[in-house]
Amino acid sequence: MDTLTQNKILFAQDISKSFPGVQALSNVTLDVREGEIHGLVGKNGAGKSTLVRVLMGLHEPDAGTLTINGRIFHSITSSDALAAGIAYVPQHVDMMNSLTVAENILVGALPKGPLGLVNWGAVYKEAHERLSKLGLELDVHKRVEGLSVAEQTMLAIAKALFGNARLIILDEPTAALPRPDINRLFGFIRSLKDKGVAFIYISHHLEEVFEICDRVTVLRDGCLVGSYPVADLDMAKLTNSIVGEDVKEYERSSTCVPDAKALELVGLTRRGHYEDINLTVSQGEVIGISGLQGCGAEALGAGLFGLEPWGVGEVRIGEDAFTARNPHEAFAQGLALLPQDRYRFGLIGLRPVRENVTYTIIDRLMGLLGIVKVPSERKIVAEYIDNLGIVTPSQDQMVRLLSGGNQQKVVFAKLAATKPSVLVLHEPTQGIDVRAKVDIYRIIDELAAQGIAILIISSEVRELMGVCDRILVMYHGRITNEFKRGDPETTPANILRAIEGGSNNAKE
Amino acid sequence: MQKPTANPIVLALIDNLIWVLVLAALITFSVLSKSFITPYNLVNIIPKVAAIGLLVIGQSFTMITAHFDLSSESGLGVTAMVAGLLIATTQYGGLGVMAPAWLAIIAMIAVGLLIGLANGLMITRLRMNNLIVTIAMMIALRGVVYIISPGSSASFFGPVFNWLGGGTLFRFQSGAQIVSVPVSLAFVLLAFAVSHIITQYTQFGRNMYAVGASRDAAESSGIRSQRIILYVYLISGLCAALAGLLSAGRLDSATPRSGLGWIFPVQAAAIIGGISLSGGRGNMIGALGGLLLWGILDTGLSILQVNPFTIDVFRGGLLLFAVLLDALKTRYLYRTAMREALSTTSIGLADTSLGFK
Repeated sequence: MDTLTQNKILFAQDISKSFPGVQALSNVTLDVREGEIHGLVGKNGAGKSTLVRVLMGLHEPDAGTLTINGRIFHSITSSDALAAGIAYVPQHVDMMNSLTVAENILVGALPKGPLGLVNWGAVYKEAHERLSKLGLELDVHKRVEGLSVAEQTMLAIAKALFGNARLIILDEPTAALPRPDINRLFGFIRSLKDKGVAFIYISHHLEEVFEICDRVTVLRDGCLVGSYPVADLDMAKLTNSIVGEDVKEYERSSTCVPDAKALELVGLTRRGHYEDINLTVSQGEVIGISGLQGCGAEALGAGLFGLEPWGVGEVRIGEDAFTARNPHEAFAQGLALLPQDRYRFGLIGLRPVRENVTYTIIDRLMGLLGIVKVPSERKIVAEYIDNLGIVTPSQDQMVRLLSGGNQQKVVFAKLAATKPSVLVLHEPTQGIDVRAKVDIYRIIDELAAQGIAILIISSEVRELMGVCDRILVMYHGRITNEFKRGDPETTPANILRAIEGGSNNAKE
Repeated sequence: MQKPTANPIVLALIDNLIWVLVLAALITFSVLSKSFITPYNLVNIIPKVAAIGLLVIGQSFTMITAHFDLSSESGLGVTAMVAGLLIATTQYGGLGVMAPAWLAIIAMIAVGLLIGLANGLMITRLRMNNLIVTIAMMIALRGVVYIISPGSSASFFGPVFNWLGGGTLFRFQSGAQIVSVPVSLAFVLLAFAVSHIITQYTQFGRNMYAVGASRDAAESSGIRSQRIILYVYLISGLCAALAGLLSAGRLDSATPRSGLGWIFPVQAAAIIGGISLSGGRGNMIGALGGLLLWGILDTGLSILQVNPFTIDVFRGGLLLFAVLLDALKTRYLYRTAMREALSTTSIGLADTSLGFK
């Protein structure tokens, strides 16, 4: 089909969007045509979510225009977006889980009988008919919570289409889906594509992008790298676009103390999350753990820290057995976790910087009757502010008023204060701008130089390559690959492929 | 440094609104009635509501951790009645045990702590909903008061109780009058002072605010939130016992209806004093202001000889007003937090839950 004559459903031109402290999007242009499956890729923080929110009318762009079905908008509201036929299907589908499929489809418009009471027979018939027209086979009597994830996603897509959507944005629809379900989902999407429905397909699973997309747009650091027909690309070119080649990355030299074990995991297994994890980390060593969502790395970190059960197996810190079952014990035994969601788990926003740093060590600062010795506290906090370069007008500033990078440094201070032997960092530079990221790497470097073993759970391959001595890849709950720094095999492309399970071909 | 999106001036105003209201109330009633602004009257504003004051303290402790204890009014009733049974003669409704005052006080405190323990364990160990648990306890304990009470009341608590509840600390001359400063005023002020020190200056207090502001973040910082919550319920139970002490002392009797319905002015005073319903905000000084406001309202309306049922309308109205202010405050904080967080994280669209309150 001649691409020039195909109708453009959406044309987003030169979209820019900034927030206090961070430029989320700069001059991003994207166009999607009728019947096209258009991939949108980029690492976390590249701007995909922000762009989608702009398209959905949830953010007003600072600059740029949106042309939807020929109408030009400078800013749209979410009802404009819906009315124009743009729908969003989130990764964790938003359905009324305890209600049936039919009820979810016909919500708000249940067919009624003569007395105004619901006519359930008509409800199920109508729902079934609508689904059949789309070629989707689902039991309309079943409760949504009983459907598989793939079926829920397909139902969400169907619902969007019933709402007259012409462009459906799919956010990571295949995370943790087994192969047969992916095939079914893709079959459904392709049948809709033939009917002229357009899709924006957001995914970290690059192999799938090659499988189902017609074109793909790559974002990096809020900028458009390019939009390419998939046929013109191969995996290497795509990963290089995503990860970037020209940026001078942070490089650190190893501070590993060989033969000094800091952390040892033997046969760690937690059903449904990870299996047979064997790992030894030396003092001063920095290792990265990467994988797709649901690969088990997240659960491993949370399990070690005591936020979740860690399953069975042996864990040793130094020579001692590690038995912590909650964060309090974990700190006491020398393991600390930097959570991914610092807003919910990392910091208490309304409280001042000073308090947020000392929650973990406050028993050292108590005087008579349990009253906190504030001068001693101030002294310790001042040292951390100085060492970590935390930018704040005062120790009493509410921590939520700091920028993302400085907030993260406060969390680091809190954890470092516990003098841990092992530090687990979960996405330590998420939501932090480029300049502050370097500060964080420096902090990681200094902590490692002190002999602390550091585990970084992250999806930022480039970052891991610069900072880690080793990178482990987890897939479906097992450690599948190990990449050493300096090894010629350690390239972004290889690591990304391992993350997707490519080199193991473990997909059915 | 980025520009803060939550205006610190607005936040300061929000947290200190109570004093503006107290001032407004004082002025209003002084204007409406000449007998309001006398030294005698002013000195007695708090003593009249001393028992409620102790309940406000207990309530504030739990509310700061984002929990409720609606059973404290019944705790007051039970403990007052227990003391009555121990102290009063059989003629005046007691068991005839003729226990000394100190024994009765220890028994009261023990009962109060026991109630707090029961609440705390159900809520932390069994993870039962705190609102329903304490409402159920409120009902059940009120029944208990009726069951253990001898008849209509137990009276004559003796000199210790009378002194604590209604005695005079010292007298001073004001113009032609001699004004007595009640002991209960000192008791209440001392209790608030101690509570303020505990909540603002100790590790326990820090942890309380942390748990209330963000339980998840508190847990991840090594704070044992379950323990903190248990402790605040114990404290609330203790305060209910002390409230029972003041009530029995002041009225010199304990009836099955002691404390009945008091939970509403208690809640109103705490909330309007700045102790947020969502937890993690507010302090004891503000709560004292809330108590003061309630006392002014109560005294003022009585002086104006307002119909007691109209006073009930005021009670309800004050509580509604307090909750409205709190809702506006919470929404303001949530909106600004949302804006800040959205700008710096890449959480997916589906995730709209934010820990910051």
